Amino acid sequence: MSFLERVDQGIRRSVVFRSLFRQPYPNDERSRAYAVMNNVFLHIHPVRVRQHAVKFAYTFCLGGLSFFLFLVLTVTGVYLMFFYVPSATQAYTDILQIQSSVAFGLLTRNIHRWAAHLMVFFVFLHMMRVFYHGAYKPPREFNWVVGVVLLFLTIMLSFTGYLLPWDQIAYWAITIGTNMAGYAPLFNTPSKFILLGGLEVGQNTLLRFYVLHIVVFPLVAAIFMAVHFWRIRKDGGISGPL
Amino acid sequence: MAETQSPPERRVTPVDPSRRTEIDKQRVPMSARPYRLLALVKQDAVVRVQKEPDDTVMTWPHLLAIEFLSAAVLSVFLLLMGLFVNAPLEDLANGNVTPEVAKAPWYFLGLQEMLAYFHPVVAGVMVPTFLLVGAALIPYVDRGDVLAHKPSERKTAVVLFSLFAILGLLVTFIGIFFRGAGYAITLPWVTGLHFSL
Repeated sequence: MSFLERVDQGIRRSVVFRSLFRQPYPNDERSRAYAVMNNVFLHIHPVRVRQHAVKFAYTFCLGGLSFFLFLVLTVTGVYLMFFYVPSATQAYTDILQIQSSVAFGLLTRNIHRWAAHLMVFFVFLHMMRVFYHGAYKPPREFNWVVGVVLLFLTIMLSFTGYLLPWDQIAYWAITIGTNMAGYAPLFNTPSKFILLGGLEVGQNTLLRFYVLHIVVFPLVAAIFMAVHFWRIRKDGGISGPL
Repeated sequence: MAETQSPPERRVTPVDPSRRTEIDKQRVPMSARPYRLLALVKQDAVVRVQKEPDDTVMTWPHLLAIEFLSAAVLSVFLLLMGLFVNAPLEDLANGNVTPEVAKAPWYFLGLQEMLAYFHPVVAGVMVPTFLLVGAALIPYVDRGDVLAHKPSERKTAVVLFSLFAILGLLVTFIGIFFRGAGYAITLPWVTGLHFSL
């Protein structure tokens, strides 16, 4: 036995390793079932899934990848939060600082931006996939509604994040976007006022969008996602086959 | 002879082989099975007449492999995008300097395009409300054959949905590519692209 093999064996037999992983690498059906069942991250899945569900071309992994993008955005977003102050006088300078002097700052901001656009796009595609498969039909009606709420939340997450760089694109895009909301009948001035925290995009708007972007919408989205995933299982797993 | 250490096993008292019943055969050490015999149910028939065909596969590895691979491919894509394409950043926000054209984010550009044709109450309030509420109500409106999943079995639904999708794509495309300074109609190959992600 080579040195490396002995080290490998030593690690696998150690008390720490065996306390971490309850069982050796799963190689048969029974241990694979346990591996899925006993792992907090994997037990979102059933032990067995229907055959058509594992064909890539059935789901294109769109729902799963949307969730994955949400995780990527959470991680990159938390990193960016360390270097960003939601202040009309400082936000733009902070973005420049992130790009020039923060370690991996430019890369992190780029990934955060592209992942955000991609997530909106993937959620749209996921919705279309689900529609064309007729997967909203009973008993999955309400899960479709949860999905529409998640689409709305995804768009709002992206929209609120759009303002944070506090540059010309952000300022005018949000001005246009919130102008539309200002036309809501009955409560038109108040709804725009509540959204902006003033008559036009300013410091209050930035703070409001920031809090919505980093706390409120992610939290609400996480709760709706939990319900969404839970209901997939409770409604009998993935729909189909066609 | 080296003695191999095996985990302690709960032994089952042996039964005279000639008197072994179904239950005796099922008695295995608890360490080998995660479940217990809770109750005995009278069997309906000796032979199970209908057994559903097993069309399932193990989640590990079949589903997890696909999920892992697609997440890995997407990660590489994001990394490459992050390395080679910089997120846009223009000058500091200034309410007094109106840009050549102010465009909403791409997912709202369809609505902004509608704004060019309709009254703001229609384009900015009624259309988005109708789209969201309408989308949420789809399963309660489409009460046709529950088992009809193939597009060919539910042509009306598919055609209507596709129509909305194509319309949405169309107005978004016009908004992205064919709107220039002052949100006037332009050709992107003449005046250039007025759009940033």
